[in-house]
Amino acid sequence: MKVKVVINGITFCEEISPNTTLLEFIKEKAGLTGTKTGCENGECGACTVIMNGKPVRSCIILAAEAHGAIITTVEGLAEKDKLHPLQQSFIRKGAVQCGFCTPGMLMAAKALYDRNPAPSQKDIEEALSGHLCRCTGYKPIKEAIEDAFNSHYN
Amino acid sequence: MGFSIVGKNVERVDAYEKVTGKAIFVGDIKLPGMLYAKVLRSPNAHAIIKNIDFAGALKSEGVVAVVTGKDFNHRFGIAVADQTPLAVHKVRFAGEPVAAVIAVTEKAAAKALKLIKIDYEKLPCVLYPQNAVQKDAPVIHEKFYQYKLAPWVSPGGKNVYQHFKVRRGDVDKAFNEADIIVENTYWSPYIHHVQLEPHGAIAQYNHDGSMVIYTSSQAPFVVQHCLSELHDIPLNRVRVIVPYVGGGFGGKSDVTIEPLVSCIARAVPGRPVKLLLTREEMFEGTVVGRGVYSHYKTAVSKDGKILGMEIKCYLGSGGYADYAVNIVSGIAMSATGPYEVPNLKIDCYGVYTNTPPTGALRGYGHPEAHFGAERQIDMIARKLNMDPAEFRMKNLLVKGRKNAIGQIMTEHSGRVDVCVKSVTEELFGKPKPEVKGNITIGRGIAAYMKMPVMPTNVQSGAIIKLNGDGTVTMSVGAIEMGQGSYTALSQIAAEALGIPMEKVHINTEVDTAYSPYEWQTVASHTTWGVGNAIIIASKDLKAKLREAAAKVLKVDVDKIVLDGEKIYSRDNKEKMLLWSDLALGYTSPKGTAVTSPIIGEGYFVARGLEKPDPETGQGNVAADWTFGCVGVELGVNKDTGEIRVYRLINAIDAGKIINPKLAHDQVMGAMVQALGSSLSEVLVFSDEGKIRNNDLVDYKIPGLEDVPEQVKVIFVETPEETGPFGARGLGEHGAVAVSPAVANAIYDALKVDFVDIPITADKVIKAIKGVD
Ligand code: FES
Ligand code: FES
Repeated sequence: MKVKVVINGITFCEEISPNTTLLEFIKEKAGLTGTKTGCENGECGACTVIMNGKPVRSCIILAAEAHGAIITTVEGLAEKDKLHPLQQSFIRKGAVQCGFCTPGMLMAAKALYDRNPAPSQKDIEEALSGHLCRCTGYKPIKEAIEDAFNSHYN
Repeated sequence: MGFSIVGKNVERVDAYEKVTGKAIFVGDIKLPGMLYAKVLRSPNAHAIIKNIDFAGALKSEGVVAVVTGKDFNHRFGIAVADQTPLAVHKVRFAGEPVAAVIAVTEKAAAKALKLIKIDYEKLPCVLYPQNAVQKDAPVIHEKFYQYKLAPWVSPGGKNVYQHFKVRRGDVDKAFNEADIIVENTYWSPYIHHVQLEPHGAIAQYNHDGSMVIYTSSQAPFVVQHCLSELHDIPLNRVRVIVPYVGGGFGGKSDVTIEPLVSCIARAVPGRPVKLLLTREEMFEGTVVGRGVYSHYKTAVSKDGKILGMEIKCYLGSGGYADYAVNIVSGIAMSATGPYEVPNLKIDCYGVYTNTPPTGALRGYGHPEAHFGAERQIDMIARKLNMDPAEFRMKNLLVKGRKNAIGQIMTEHSGRVDVCVKSVTEELFGKPKPEVKGNITIGRGIAAYMKMPVMPTNVQSGAIIKLNGDGTVTMSVGAIEMGQGSYTALSQIAAEALGIPMEKVHINTEVDTAYSPYEWQTVASHTTWGVGNAIIIASKDLKAKLREAAAKVLKVDVDKIVLDGEKIYSRDNKEKMLLWSDLALGYTSPKGTAVTSPIIGEGYFVARGLEKPDPETGQGNVAADWTFGCVGVELGVNKDTGEIRVYRLINAIDAGKIINPKLAHDQVMGAMVQALGSSLSEVLVFSDEGKIRNNDLVDYKIPGLEDVPEQVKVIFVETPEETGPFGARGLGEHGAVAVSPAVANAIYDALKVDFVDIPITADKVIKAIKGVD
C-alpha cells in the first residue's frame, strides 16, 4: 500500500507493507534516526512524536493510520541554527544523561508547550506520565520543562 | 588549590547531540549490504537439546542462513570459560540462544524463526542459590572441571564455582564473649538494569579472518580480547566500535551479546549482520543483577562495640558464571558495611542456577551486601536500646581503623562519620510532614562504602592531539553511557592543560583501532583512572611544548614558562609563542622545519595494589573506598500498604567533586533506581524458570510519580590522594544503601522487619495483618 506522510515539513510518499509501524516508517522510509526504540510496545515513550499536534507513541501506530498526517520528530524541533527553547533548557538543566529517553521526552513536552502556555505542575506530570527514564531520576527533566515555559513566557 | 574549571557546573559536552537527535546509537547504524539476525531462545530453564530441525526456516523467504551451536562450539569466559555463544547439547536457562536466523530483513528473520523445531528433554531446574547448593539439587555443569579457569577461581561444593573467604581474628572467641548476638537471613532478588536502550550489535566477519563489530557496550577492549580468543584472530584484526550507549549500569559490561553476534556473522563472511534485542529479550537474553541470599550473625558487647561477624552469602549466578566471579569478592569484601570488625569469618559462594546469567549491576555486590549489613545494624541498636546513628558512630571506619581486608583508613580515606552526622541532622532536624489518612511516617538511615572492584593493575589511557589552531582533540577508551564522564574528563583536561573548556573536544566514539586502551567503563573508576591518564597526557603535551619552545627560542628548557596558551622564556617575555605556533611543528621564516607536531599521551596504571590472600581475603586490594550515608523519610498507608518516600538524602565523600551538578544528578539517578529495587522491582520466575514479567508494565521501574518530593545530595569532599585533583568515584554509590535505609524507615513506621526486597504494598498489608 502507498502512504503519504509529512514529516518535519517534507512529504514522503512510500510503498509499505500494511503492518509497518509509524516508527519504522520514520526510521526506514524517512531515514530519521533521532526517534528512539525502547520497547516497541507503547510502554516507554522513547518513540514519541507529534502527529497532528498530539503526542503519539509511534511504535504502536501503523503508518497506514498516519496517512495524510503532519508529523514532527526531534529533528524538526530546532529552527535552522536556533534550538527550540525546550532543547535549550534540557541542556541548561542537565535533563539529559544517556539521551535515549530524551527525544521522546522532548516531543511530549513540545506537544504540551504548543497547546498550553501556562501548564501546572500536574499538566507537566501528566504529559510525562508513562515516559520512562532510567538515568536522571526525572527531576532535571521536569525542571527543564518548567524552565522552558518560564523563560519563554515571562 | 584554586581551580578554574574543576568544581564548576559546566554544561554537558554531549547534550547538544542528544537533544537534537544527532547522537548515534547502535540501533541507528545501517551499513551497506547489512543483514539482520533474530535469535531463537530456549523456553526451558534446564534441558537437553535432542534435535534441531531448521530445514523449513532455511527455505523461508529472505533467509540467508541458519546458525546453531553445532556450527561454532568454542567456549568463552575470562574467569570461567563455561559458555558457548549458542547452546550446545544442553540449555541452562530459559532465554539461552539455541539457533539464529540471518535474513535480508528483520521481519523475514523473525518469520523464519517460527519454523525451527527443537526437541528438548526437560531436566529438573533450580532457580535460587540457597537451593542450588543442596545435595539433591541438579548439577548444572557436569563438566565444570574441564573448563579453563582463571587462577583466582576457587570452586567447591554443589554448583559452586567460586568460594571467597575473609578471615580475621578469632570469631569463636568473639561470639563467646558477646553480650548480644543478632542473627538473620536476607534476600536481594534477581532484578534487571532496564537500560532504555536495548542491547544491539552489528558484526562483520571477513574472509581474510578479520572482524569488525559495532556494539552497545561499556567494555570495547574486553569485547576485543574475548572475540580475539574466541575466533583465534590477532587483536589488531578485531575492531570494536562503540557509539553512544543508552544506559549501561553494568549490564553492558564485560561481554554480553557480542560472542553470539560474532558467531552468527561467521556464517556470512563479508556481510555485516545486525542483532537488536527486543525489550522482552532484554530481560532473559542479556544479564540480570543481584540474586543474593545472605546469613548474618553479629556479636556485640553491651557498650555497643561490634566484636565479630560470621557471614555466609550465596550469589545466584545463572546458567553461566563468568560475569559473576568477581561480584562474589565484591560482596565478601564489603559485607561488613563501613565498620571495623576485629573478628571475621565471611564465606561468599558463587552458585550456578538455572536463571539468566547474573552480571554487574550498579554497585557490584555492595548493595546486596549492605542490605544485610545495614538492616543488621538497626536491629542490634534496638536490642542495645541505643540510637542507631550512635551505634554506627561507635564502629565506623574512621582514620586509623582497619577494614575487613586489612586496609588501614587514613586521613584521605573519606569521612563516613561526617556523612552519617550530616544525614542524621538533615533527616531528623526537620519536622515530620503532615499527612492525611491512615498513614504512619518512618525514618531510617544506612551507611555505606564502596570500592572499585577491578584488576590490581587496571589501566586507563588518554591521547590529546594539539591542533594547528591551538585547540585540542582528546581520545579516551572510556564510554559515555549517560554518566557524564566526557564532560568531567574534558574539565580535567582543560584544567590540567590550563586552557578554556571550549578549546577541548573529546571524541564521542570509542574505536579499539584508534582509542587508547582502557580496561572498561565500570566500577565508577573512570573519573579516577582516565582522569589520571589525562593529567599524565597533559603533562606530556606541555613538556613537549616546552621542549619545542626551547628549541625555537634557543634557550634552556627550564627557562620556558607556560602561561595559559602563551609560551616565553623567563628572560625575555617579549618574544612570545602561542600553542598554535608549535602545534604542527615550528617552521622558521626561511621555511626550515625546526620542531615536530605535538601530541600528548598518557597511560595510568594503578600502583601498589595486590590480589587478596586466597585463605584470608586480606590485602591491599581496593584502590580507594567511597563512603556515604543515606537517609529516608517515608509514609506507609496502613489501609493500602502503599509506601510513599518523601525525602531521600545522601551524604557522600567522593573527594573533590569535578562537576557538582553532574555529580548530584548521578547520585540522584542512582538513588531513584535503587528506590525501584527497594519497592517494586523483581524478576518473577515461574517454577519452570521462565520470567513472567518481561515487559515494562509488569516489571515496574520508577516513573516521575514515584520520585520523592525532596532529594538531597550532600558532598563531603575529603581529597583522594590518588585521584585526579582529589576526585574519587561516585557513579554507583547512590544505589548502595537505599534499600536498607528504606527497610529501616519502614520498621520505624510499622515496627515490622523486612528482610527481603522489594517491599511491595502486598507484603506490607500481609505484615500488618500478621501483626495486628
Ligand atoms: S518504543 Fe514506543 S513506547 Fe517504547
Ligand atoms: S537519560 Fe537515559 S533514559 Fe533518560
